[in-house]
Amino acid sequence: MRYGGGNRSRLLLIILIVSSLFLITLDLRGVQVLDGLRSGSQTVLSPFQKAGNTVASPFKNFFSDITHLGRTRNQLEQLRAENFNLRTKLINRKNADAQLKQFKSMLDLAGTADYKILSAKVISQGSTQSFSQTLTIDAGSNSGIKRNMTVICDSGLAGVVKEVYPNSALILLASDPSFRIGVRIAGTQQIGILSGQGSRKAVLQLIDNQTTLQVGDVLLARGSQQNRPFVPGVPVGSVVSVDNSAGAIAQSASVKFYTNFSALGVVAVVVGAPKTDPRDALVPVKPRPRPVPTITILVTPSPSPTATK
Amino acid sequence: MITRQLTFSALIFLFMYTLQESLINQVRLPGGGFSIFIIFALVWSALSTPEVGAVAGFGAGFLVDLSPSSSGPVGQWTLIMILTCFGIAFLGFGDDKSRGNPITIVFLVVAGVFLSEIAFLISGALLGVNLGSLSQIAIILIGMSMWTLLITPFTLPIFSRFHAFTFDTGSRI
Repeated sequence: MRYGGGNRSRLLLIILIVSSLFLITLDLRGVQVLDGLRSGSQTVLSPFQKAGNTVASPFKNFFSDITHLGRTRNQLEQLRAENFNLRTKLINRKNADAQLKQFKSMLDLAGTADYKILSAKVISQGSTQSFSQTLTIDAGSNSGIKRNMTVICDSGLAGVVKEVYPNSALILLASDPSFRIGVRIAGTQQIGILSGQGSRKAVLQLIDNQTTLQVGDVLLARGSQQNRPFVPGVPVGSVVSVDNSAGAIAQSASVKFYTNFSALGVVAVVVGAPKTDPRDALVPVKPRPRPVPTITILVTPSPSPTATK
Repeated sequence: MITRQLTFSALIFLFMYTLQESLINQVRLPGGGFSIFIIFALVWSALSTPEVGAVAGFGAGFLVDLSPSSSGPVGQWTLIMILTCFGIAFLGFGDDKSRGNPITIVFLVVAGVFLSEIAFLISGALLGVNLGSLSQIAIILIGMSMWTLLITPFTLPIFSRFHAFTFDTGSRI
């Protein structure tokens, strides 16, 4: 027999729907209680996330590693020869080395621009069910982190601090669809607005239509008033294609972020901005083409053969 | 009896929520991955009466809304989950052929995940939430549905045991 419903069931459903609409209204009106609930849930979850990060660290990048299998085949063959304990140790060590490498590059970046940074470990990646791009770090207001601070990684801009809790903070990644940042093109100093698209690609909209964009142009953060949310000079990405459609009001381009958002292990929050704008000091150095050795063969002609009879 | 059921249900839901937020979210899977918590809530509803389904949807949706990485306003997921869980429970209730059939439940859960994501997109667009490029949305929608199709058959026996234990129904899948 099919369920035919009933007055009690209908009433319950209506009450629940009205309650959820009530919650939406309260949240959209900015009632503090609901923010407190989210903050409380993060405070409770933070120790579990740290524990989960420790448990998941050996296999969290499993799928991205698979895509690079061809490049690491030799390394895998070496690992196969070792016993299980050594392999586990190696994986853990590899993870730590990668984080150390990221950390070193991050310090170089911050040191060049004179940023005062606070490094933090990523303890949770945000869920994608809400189509948002976030991550949680293991440092919060107790460490001096505040909302709207710039977050950088070894290769450039990672995002911005969205929410702060006592021992953790939620970072809105630059790839999030709601992310917007004012950028300038290194060299020409033309300005534009970069919007996240949910992936490593972003869309740049130039303010001035007279400017000519070129593939490979480097984008740097323009900086905000009081240096929040963005400090100036942080490398953001480079132009990969330019939209030259005739009818466009403003010139736009597709940009690839320098940051690989799926491989972030450690990040740094810029807690102190530089006294002077670093300008183009952080523009990544283009890889130098390796000189191809020119082989010169000198041929000395032998004396002309003499005809012999 | 009702106190026991409510307590057990709440504890199991909180456990699944913590598992999702602390462990499953750590792993970056291609295509957006899956939400074990939403799968669990939908399986729970598929095995329950429509009233229990609606209440389970309310609780589950509210917990998803409390997740710091949730982008919409509090209440958005609550509303979506109430309707989805009630719908799934309503479709399955009273028809033992479909309720006792794991394939039907897997199909209902996959459809539930897909429809709830579509509902989130539509309501998000109405509420002014930025959702990203069309290609990225399509990847996540298809990816999440595929992952749900892959994961649900493995988790269904465990979830149905939890449900049977809580409601003392004795019927397991």
